[in-house]
Amino acid sequence: MRAVVKNGIGVFHPQGFLDGNASIALLSIEDINATMNSNADIILVSLKKVIFFNRNGLDAFVKMFHKVRTAKHIIVGFCDYDTKKYDAIHKFYKNELTFSLFKTQEIANLFSSGYKNQAKNVLLYSEDKSQRAALAIELHDNGHNPIVTQTKEEFLEKSKADNSYDVIMSESYLGQIGQQVATRVTGNAIIYTLSSFLDAEIGNSFNIAYHNNSLNVGFRLFIFDAYKVVSMNVHALNFFSKLASAAAEYNATISFVGLTFEKTPLAFKETLEDSGIMFFEQMNDILENKELLDELGASSAAGSKTKRPLNKGIVSELPNFIDATVATIEMMTNSQATKDAAKVDKINIENKDNKIASSIGFYGDIDGMVMLVFPLHIAKKSCELLIGEETDDIELILDTLAELVNIVGGKIKTLLSDEHINVNITLPRTYRDIESLLEIAQDKKGVQVDLSFDNDKFLFFLTR
Amino acid sequence: MITKEKVDAYINKIPPAPDALKQTILFLNQGELSKASKSAMQDLALSAYLKDLVNKPIFGFKSKVSDISQIFGILGVEKSQQAVYNYMISLLSPSKWKLFKLTKTSFGDLQAELSVKWQKILEHLNIKNQSLQNSITLLPSSIIVAEALFCEKLDDVALLRSVNEIDLNTILSRLCGMDLFDICERIAQKWEMDDSVAQVLQAASGVKPSDKEMINNLGKWMHLLLFFTLSKPVYIDAELNDFIDFQIDYVEDIYEDFSQLMEIV
Repeated sequence: MRAVVKNGIGVFHPQGFLDGNASIALLSIEDINATMNSNADIILVSLKKVIFFNRNGLDAFVKMFHKVRTAKHIIVGFCDYDTKKYDAIHKFYKNELTFSLFKTQEIANLFSSGYKNQAKNVLLYSEDKSQRAALAIELHDNGHNPIVTQTKEEFLEKSKADNSYDVIMSESYLGQIGQQVATRVTGNAIIYTLSSFLDAEIGNSFNIAYHNNSLNVGFRLFIFDAYKVVSMNVHALNFFSKLASAAAEYNATISFVGLTFEKTPLAFKETLEDSGIMFFEQMNDILENKELLDELGASSAAGSKTKRPLNKGIVSELPNFIDATVATIEMMTNSQATKDAAKVDKINIENKDNKIASSIGFYGDIDGMVMLVFPLHIAKKSCELLIGEETDDIELILDTLAELVNIVGGKIKTLLSDEHINVNITLPRTYRDIESLLEIAQDKKGVQVDLSFDNDKFLFFLTR
Repeated sequence: MITKEKVDAYINKIPPAPDALKQTILFLNQGELSKASKSAMQDLALSAYLKDLVNKPIFGFKSKVSDISQIFGILGVEKSQQAVYNYMISLLSPSKWKLFKLTKTSFGDLQAELSVKWQKILEHLNIKNQSLQNSITLLPSSIIVAEALFCEKLDDVALLRSVNEIDLNTILSRLCGMDLFDICERIAQKWEMDDSVAQVLQAASGVKPSDKEMINNLGKWMHLLLFFTLSKPVYIDAELNDFIDFQIDYVEDIYEDFSQLMEIV
């Protein structure tokens, strides 16, 4: 069984009866390896649909937790349980509770970098004093407002006014946690999370290929969340200076948030500023300042300085890209696609109204990016299968569209790997209107294929 | 991925029950075991299936049983009926399973396991209605239908499920407005099975509780029995464990009773 990864959180959903035999069958070595290789910064096992479990049943998952945490230093644990199950887990793992427990997935989300700084009001209670403190500190560090209750009575009393809180949290436990250079996307900024001491190791833990391709896909603002950084040395300084010069070629901005210079020489700050890195005290200074955000993130019109032409390798794989896209949209809409025209040129979108777009990059043996332009109602229709109902909520549609494009990316990856071409895919980016897409794409040459789905025009663009 | 037309075509392709089978069932309904065994013998595939079935370990016979009249005699009217219905359902199963990693043998084991445990449940609940006893035989048809409809779409299903925790039943009902259990109901109608058989099965889907208390209660037991069985390593390996969603809230109130009956510790 594989984890479903969404917004940086990977969740396993076992169901039924979980004993030693069942859990070993559920979790193969390949599944564990796939989990290690996922981009998730939290791995959870949901017990929502498990009616019975014993210690042996949980052990296979706990072993996986240890493995994943040792290798990736991320949060691992169980979620979605009731009091009975919570007590049972405590009983089974009395003094060896090294993983976390979150009563619901919503509570777990609060600890994920993907949901940082949403300033949620969290009513918090734990019987264990040190847990209470640890949970509160971690919530605070993640940009939420924990309201800690000291007694169960106080908690029950306060939780009656459930409208006053976004999340009510009890029966949760924070196991050992650690941080890696986790990545998440907020709007059109990519946020990397750093922690503790930054030294030469940053060169290994930072995924440079991913970063370069995010630049290529059109992300122009990269924020390093450095609240938890204690200090950095000259090797890390060099690394960030180089990163900044590389970003400058794309007209992209790199900024640090929350970095203090108590233990880091102030001269480092000047060096970094000279190479173009900006410093902010609070994440909200950037994220809530729309003008600044637009200015930093949308300064993409200049695009890449070195224009990269399409090459034979990528064009010869065009049928695979088209097939993956068409098959996915056909699958999601249950309609047939026909190919109208294909040409190699700059992107040309005739009617720009009521359209949304999305792009996803790929890198590895070959690299480039796929852009998809949807009429709004096809996007809505495509997303219905994932959402389960019709919706007009544009945020939800864009969010689901990103998932859909992720499926396209996954499919491209599979089709190419059949031909022994290995690629990885970037996070998908969505555009709520065509203008914002054109800022990235208008100067790029690529292959444009016009497709029709039941007479609705749909545009596919492959470029580098 | 799967269209309404495809589902309709599938339903239309379901063959009517063969005559020898119909007759066997008719005699069994009348309690005429010897006449039933004679007509069962005319269908060689049925005879072979019955022999294979009763000699499975779960039936616990010490020596091999191979004579059809002997088989019906040992099983008695009710279990013989179930065995024949199980055979009918197995007629729909594919020669080679693609979506689920099942074989003819492991599917037969699943049928036998469900039937034997269902019998135990009905005895526990003190229910002696024949149709309700036979209702378990239709349950595995949901697996066959899922296999038939989704076997060509393995990659699509895998990709869809990598971004969204969504079961095959939900995918189908969102795409076609008709789910696996609706299709099984159509099979039951085509084979002239009693209405209550399909009603219990619909309730056993866990998402369509019945207004009738007894049917709903049996639906809960069947839903839980299905997941109890599908939690065994052999069916987890066959990737059957999450083909539909387990509705834990639906079965919560009978769980204690169930766990005692099945001796779960």
